[in-house]
Amino acid sequence: MKVKLLFFGATAASAGVGETEILLADNVRADRAFESIFAQFPNLAKNHDKKSLHFSVNQEYASGSETINEGDELAVFTAVSGG
Amino acid sequence: MTDFYELSDKHLEIGEIARRVVPPECGATVTLDGYVRQFTKGRETEYLVYEAYKPMALKEMSKLIANAREKFDIANVGIVHRLGKLEIGETSIVISVAAPHRRAAFEACEWLIKELKRTVPIWKKEVYADGEVWVEGGTAEKGK
Repeated sequence: MKVKLLFFGATAASAGVGETEILLADNVRADRAFESIFAQFPNLAKNHDKKSLHFSVNQEYASGSETINEGDELAVFTAVSGG
Repeated sequence: MTDFYELSDKHLEIGEIARRVVPPECGATVTLDGYVRQFTKGRETEYLVYEAYKPMALKEMSKLIANAREKFDIANVGIVHRLGKLEIGETSIVISVAAPHRRAAFEACEWLIKELKRTVPIWKKEVYADGEVWVEGGTAEKGK
């Protein structure tokens, strides 16, 4: 199934793209989806401590247990620095 | 209720933003004017660039305001965060909190900026004469 994937700031620089589409196994769990993203974008793990990255599914912070559906919007980003 | 939360590509007028939160039953508005610092840890910044995950940032700002209303005796909250390129001294964020009494307004304003820096998906790039870096927040927690 196809999902939308977004990167911002430092992760966009690492991934070389801000917005793309990727293929994932149907109804995969979020934590597996993000592992798949790391495999597809090796510079992410190279440039960032995985544990320091944040994930969201459909614009909500993800814990990892969410089920991903076709067309969902996923994002991977570093700790926020607004203000 | 006249809360508001916005992202803007234009110069922020803090007085105008602060006035928008004031209802007649209030006696105090506390406004934070956060602006671009020239020196961070001794290094000189030339300018900043802010980027946001806009729809998620707006959702998180809305949640922040709802949580602040539960925690503090406040009337209205306005938050406007600037995006794009900002020069030294330009306002990057305005948070205005109106309350019947000043103490709750001060406390809520401090709580709001602290939480915003932890949860709202906005990132800052510091550009120096000899390079640039996307700043990573230090205190953000996963899943919040």
